[in-house]
Amino acid sequence: MATNTLNAQHQEHHDGGHHEPPAKVYGRQKMALWLFIGGDIITMSAMLFTYLYLRGVNTQNHWMSMVGLPVDKVHTYGYYENLANLPSQHLIHVAPMSPSFNWLVTGVSVLSALIFWSAERNLRKNGNRAAFTWNALFATVAVVVAAVLSVVQLRHLPQIYVAVNDSHTLSYTAYSSSMMVLTGSALVHFILLAYLGLAMVVRSARGVLTGEKWFHAGLVRLFWVWVAVSGIIVSAVTTTVNVH
Amino acid sequence: MTTTLQHAPTKSKGGGLARRQNFLTALIGGVVFAWLAWFIGRHTLDNTTRTFSDQVAVLTSCGWTVGFWLGIGALNGPGRWFIGRDHTRADDLYYAGENQGRARYWKYCTDHKVVGVQYIIMTMVLLGAGGILAMAIRTQLLTPGNHFVDQQVYNGFIAVHGMLMILALIVAVAGPWANFVVPIMIGAHDMAFPRLNALSFWTLVAAAGLLLTTLAVGSLPVGWVVLAPISNQAGVGMDFFAMAIIVFTVSTTVAGINTIATVMTLRTKGMTLSRLPIFVWGSIIAAALGLYAFPYFLTVEAIQILDRTVSTSFFVASGGGAGWLQANLFWLMGHPEVYVILIPAVAALFEIAAVMSRKPVFSYRTAIAGMTGLAGLSVLVWAHHMFTTGWAPTLGGPFMLTTELISIPTGLFFLVLLGTLWRGNIWMKLPTLWLFGFVFNFIIAGITGIYLSDIPIDNQLHGTMFVTAHFHYVFVGSVLFGAIAALAFWFPKVSGRYLDETQGKISFWLVFIGVQVTFLAMFVSGLRGMPRRYSSYSMIFEHTNFVTTMGAYMIMAGMLVLLGAVISSWRKGEPSGPNPWQANSLEWLVPTPPPLENFDVLPTIKEDPYNFGGKR
Amino acid sequence: MATNKKYSLAGFYWLWFTLTVVGVIISIWAPGYLMPMSMSSNMHLTILTMVVFSVAAAPVAAGVYAATAYLLRHNVYRGDSVPPAAKDQTRENARLTIGWILASTVLTVFLLIWGLGALSVDNGGNEANPLVVNVTGQQWLWSFSYAGTHVQSNTLVLPENREVVFHITSKDVTHGFWIAQMGIQVDANVGTVTELHTTPNKLGTFDIRCTQFCGLNHAFMVTQGQVMTTQGFDNWLAAQPQRA
Repeated sequence: MATNTLNAQHQEHHDGGHHEPPAKVYGRQKMALWLFIGGDIITMSAMLFTYLYLRGVNTQNHWMSMVGLPVDKVHTYGYYENLANLPSQHLIHVAPMSPSFNWLVTGVSVLSALIFWSAERNLRKNGNRAAFTWNALFATVAVVVAAVLSVVQLRHLPQIYVAVNDSHTLSYTAYSSSMMVLTGSALVHFILLAYLGLAMVVRSARGVLTGEKWFHAGLVRLFWVWVAVSGIIVSAVTTTVNVH
Repeated sequence: MTTTLQHAPTKSKGGGLARRQNFLTALIGGVVFAWLAWFIGRHTLDNTTRTFSDQVAVLTSCGWTVGFWLGIGALNGPGRWFIGRDHTRADDLYYAGENQGRARYWKYCTDHKVVGVQYIIMTMVLLGAGGILAMAIRTQLLTPGNHFVDQQVYNGFIAVHGMLMILALIVAVAGPWANFVVPIMIGAHDMAFPRLNALSFWTLVAAAGLLLTTLAVGSLPVGWVVLAPISNQAGVGMDFFAMAIIVFTVSTTVAGINTIATVMTLRTKGMTLSRLPIFVWGSIIAAALGLYAFPYFLTVEAIQILDRTVSTSFFVASGGGAGWLQANLFWLMGHPEVYVILIPAVAALFEIAAVMSRKPVFSYRTAIAGMTGLAGLSVLVWAHHMFTTGWAPTLGGPFMLTTELISIPTGLFFLVLLGTLWRGNIWMKLPTLWLFGFVFNFIIAGITGIYLSDIPIDNQLHGTMFVTAHFHYVFVGSVLFGAIAALAFWFPKVSGRYLDETQGKISFWLVFIGVQVTFLAMFVSGLRGMPRRYSSYSMIFEHTNFVTTMGAYMIMAGMLVLLGAVISSWRKGEPSGPNPWQANSLEWLVPTPPPLENFDVLPTIKEDPYNFGGKR
Repeated sequence: MATNKKYSLAGFYWLWFTLTVVGVIISIWAPGYLMPMSMSSNMHLTILTMVVFSVAAAPVAAGVYAATAYLLRHNVYRGDSVPPAAKDQTRENARLTIGWILASTVLTVFLLIWGLGALSVDNGGNEANPLVVNVTGQQWLWSFSYAGTHVQSNTLVLPENREVVFHITSKDVTHGFWIAQMGIQVDANVGTVTELHTTPNKLGTFDIRCTQFCGLNHAFMVTQGQVMTTQGFDNWLAAQPQRA
């Protein structure tokens, strides 16, 4: 076939500069991934800085409180929307989010990372593609669960109904806001991992990813582990540093 | 033009659709998806909340970006990877633009040389757009109480002018030359990740689209640093701005990773780190600094969007938020960023100084140490932009210390430049002219920065036109001069022709004199007490503003002459041959234009490129 | 055809010296001439600091400009084609480099010591009984209330030779409170109070200008104040309408 012949011609025509050993390419891709993780570390630090700074500065003592009306199972956004006259607004204190749920999400994320790590390791050492395909699938399912749990977390962010003049909205205190950006960022990473994990399943099932050519799995594993580690860091900070 | 690799055009499996993607399909994709997102947003979101229009704006921006990426073909690679059908070698060559002639400049082309040229064009577009706004601003300030533009329009112009110019300068040297020149300089066939290279360029275009849209939807009357809480109150222009920045962060992150990985892993045999051309060092130092800084920008704009779309309280005091948070995050990015802008320009000038004086770079190690020291220190100085905010007065002293220390590595740049030129045989061509202009202007830029680093002085001069004049001496007087020098220097490599000397000289003198007239008068405005971001001013500032505006017109005239020179020289300038400056770095030793993959056989390096003969 | 004859450096040194002298003269004259008339001890020190910094910078700028002029005079190749390699191919000059670093460090340290000294002078010297003025910024005007009285005014009037402490806040967005003749400036922030203090030492009018972009009429958020004698100030204060 024309394409194959051309490829073969390339291989003869040029020196090794074009077709490098896959291990060398892997080294380069790993470097790039580490650089990306470096940027991600800064992003995470910026978000943690946000959390700690707002807590520290506690503007008007409103880290976990705000003037408005409570939003809960009984008093929802719709409830207030339907009221002809709003009750007068007062200072509402929100409760901190459940630390155990926070750690549950992180735990699931860590579990998914461990599953994938062990799957990748086995692929590298034993070359068992079928096993890898299944384990990668389990890891992906786990990270999807983590994503769903993050969405649940987001839905449980404490809200306060604020009405100012004609505008009325569900608002978040500085605490809720900081938790939102941290949880939201975790969700984005879980979705990315789901894509990567599924890709691993597909590629392995199609035979593009094998015991010899395992390198992309190595990269995905590196990122997966980083996401788990970042989850541990964020959970540790947000469940221990707080103001009630 | 011929390449040394002759192939019959091949069609890879994958059909013709991917082959037809270009800037036009990207625009169509962007507009269609933007409209879709807008439509869905308008009809599903609650339109009674005050965040409704911001939510729709953010969704529309997301639609634009995704649609643009789809349209240009950026997602083809990840998509094919997902389903396990990787690019073949034939695909790679197609995407590198093989046998596509000029059409490849409009496409998702992975050839670093094409990307470099695309960046040249994009830089000119951004500079042009920012320049038009600058003319509007200066015309408004021609006389006090002028009504050239509506006041709120003016307020929006100054912010968009600022951001457009910042974007333009971030890419002005790194975009064209870290892409076009660096891979050849290190003896590589292309960048480490050619597809990421194309991604970084086209993502910049998408981001620029969002930024320009700002002008059409109520603009950005909040200043380019979009301080909170006023930025929370701005119209939807602010949402497009924030999304533009987030999208831009993707572009610059990808580009930075690519540059560093390329230099670290693709150097040819014998190209040790100490034999690297100094421009390569500047490129990776700036890239590393950018990787550090831009995540802060991403974070601050993301939480800004949250404040505006879902009523969080990051910057809203009644919910426990603080404007100072925005300022801190912004400047954590903002100060390193100015060195991301400056370092490539300085590194290019080091290169030019050596070649144009026929001598090695003076104290190569000091050049590297200076750039590295500058980058390293720059992460410790951000709060000097916040001396007058009232935030953390006790930290004033430490930040004064770190900021003043920056003058030491910055001063080393003069040592290297002057040391290189000293006792050289200086070849006074266009690049050298702009180099001397840089030296003249950068001293003023640097010294006036030192004034501002002193808190008692800053208490008087912060927020005045003195600050504006200082950073325009940096950006216009120094960085722009370096960028134009780099353009004049490498133009023959890209086009095979010299940039016209006569037109270039005219443009130089217009811009150089224009810079002095504009910004020296602006210093006086500031010293006399005129604050910045003013749409009008009191009579006592009348004369200096008039002079400033006249100078600005001169700069514009000079830049237009330069534009004319670029356009006419590209098509019919004097042919230059492959190595007009008789330089030794690898880009000059390949043909002009360089073949598709630069080298048939990768060279082996025995020494650095600064051996011009003569006694060592 | 330049041949890198070693031109005597005397010309360079003379030019350096001359430009330095010119620079020093301008440095001594310009700040006081260009900047607003000083009406406080702060401002005096600020103008003096400008002079000192300028004088210190003069030889640096002069040196660079003299070197540039010298290069343009003696080292420009006047031939038609590519210049030959320079005779001097020096790559390093350790003494020059170290000397340069040392000199710039000494200069920087000097400026730093001066600056920190000026800063501590500005911050120190607190009187026992300062006049306290609460400043409120809003789009687009300043209002002042004198602590301990019920006086609220849109004009700032201050007594001569008495320390005044400003407590500054904002109602809506960040504004910049700046008294151009007194060398003091700080932002007015929402939800927080920032502080400034100075001692006016000259009678006359002064300008308060907003230095932080605050919206449509930022350019018009300018007002004038006045420094009166102690007696004049007391009279003025007594004549103000009392806020309920």
